[in-house]
Amino acid sequence: MTAKLFKVKVNGQHELTVDASEGTLLDALEKHQLEVHYHCKSGFCGACRSKLKSGSVRYLTDPLAYVRKGDFLPCCCVPESDLDIEH
Amino acid sequence: MSYSTFNQEQTNPLAEPMFFGNSVNVARYDQQKHSIFEKLIEKQISFFWRPEEVDVSRDRVDFNKLTASEKHVFISNLKYQTLLDSIQGRSPNIALLPIVSLPELETWIETWSFFETIHSRSYTHILRNLFSDPSEIFEDIVINDQIKLRANDISRYYDDLIFYTQLWQTHGEGKITVDGEEHNVTRRELKKKLFLCINSVNALEAIRFYVSFACTFAFAERELMEGNAKIIRLIARDENVHLTSTQHMINLWQDGEDDPEMAEIAEELADEAYEIFMTAVKQEKQWAHYLFKDGSMIGLNESMLCQYVEYIANLRMQAIGYDAPFPEQRSNPLPWMNKYLVSDNVQVAPQEAEISSYLVGQIDSSVDASDLGDFDL
Repeated sequence: MTAKLFKVKVNGQHELTVDASEGTLLDALEKHQLEVHYHCKSGFCGACRSKLKSGSVRYLTDPLAYVRKGDFLPCCCVPESDLDIEH
Repeated sequence: MSYSTFNQEQTNPLAEPMFFGNSVNVARYDQQKHSIFEKLIEKQISFFWRPEEVDVSRDRVDFNKLTASEKHVFISNLKYQTLLDSIQGRSPNIALLPIVSLPELETWIETWSFFETIHSRSYTHILRNLFSDPSEIFEDIVINDQIKLRANDISRYYDDLIFYTQLWQTHGEGKITVDGEEHNVTRRELKKKLFLCINSVNALEAIRFYVSFACTFAFAERELMEGNAKIIRLIARDENVHLTSTQHMINLWQDGEDDPEMAEIAEELADEAYEIFMTAVKQEKQWAHYLFKDGSMIGLNESMLCQYVEYIANLRMQAIGYDAPFPEQRSNPLPWMNKYLVSDNVQVAPQEAEISSYLVGQIDSSVDASDLGDFDL
């Protein structure tokens, strides 16, 4: 699969380049050795809930956890554009 | 307003609120007001498991090697888990089924409670293996002050809702005197009790269970009591789903996506709901103190467990629209917890020497045309 690279800004301090063709956004955060918050990693517990300040994401599996306005679940999505998030 | 097991009025479940609308009649799921509950049912059922499938026989050897203070932590923790699931195995059914108005939510409540009964059965499975006669352990649950303190706070919101629902179903709305005490039964009062009850259950599913999971997994981190940890992993995965359901109920109310009166009540009782949560946090910290009163264990002590309570409280409060109550505790003091909470197809802890391919309810039903390439007709 060809790489789909996006810039992801995390907590206003880290700027990462994330390949949307490789794993979820949470995997990418983990790979960059940021502290990640999660339990199920499958979209049903909501523990990875983060704020999407700008940009858009695509869910690989539909989240079952309640996603409040402005929030998203990095464990089951990939970036669709450059992102600015709070995790 | 007596309860009918089959409401003969023609109702439109798509226009009903989750609770206190018309009571349910046909159990149909072709149309759903809140389809999330049907999805949670499917998820939960796909996780079906039986305690007897998990081999806990090695735990007895491990248990006998534990120090007295470690035994205290292990057994107290198991007693607490037994209490939580004793309550959860029955209460959602008794408290919520008489007032539910959506068939998909009714079935979710039954599914939820049923899985809690699997958890209860698994504690007996664990204890039977550790003791020839586990009676003493079970009997202590109703006399141990530390456990009773928790039981009281967990059950009282359920009990209050159940009592008022019974009054409402037998007498209808109005002032009703029972044993010299007057009760003002109105639909709004009932809805308030429901709101507080769900918030109390949410705190139980969100915080209380996780404190107990941390203790279990701390033993597993030292390669002790791994059979027990395997069972608690399955329980934790179920509890994640249950927690999601109570978070959905609260958020649906707050956002006015269900019952406008519940949206008002959610606002009116926001502080009280917050207090319920913070009381649970405080109690869990006291519990941590009781667990480690005789000494800590490698990898876990009172202060780490209290920090974990605060860390997890932040996540849970934000999930229902509150600010994080402990902004200084943003990072996870027990990072190893996550590897036990991950729900993937591999259901054994990664550090276990003996990998038993324990797969239940995991069916790969994806078929690609290329899978049939070798067939000749």
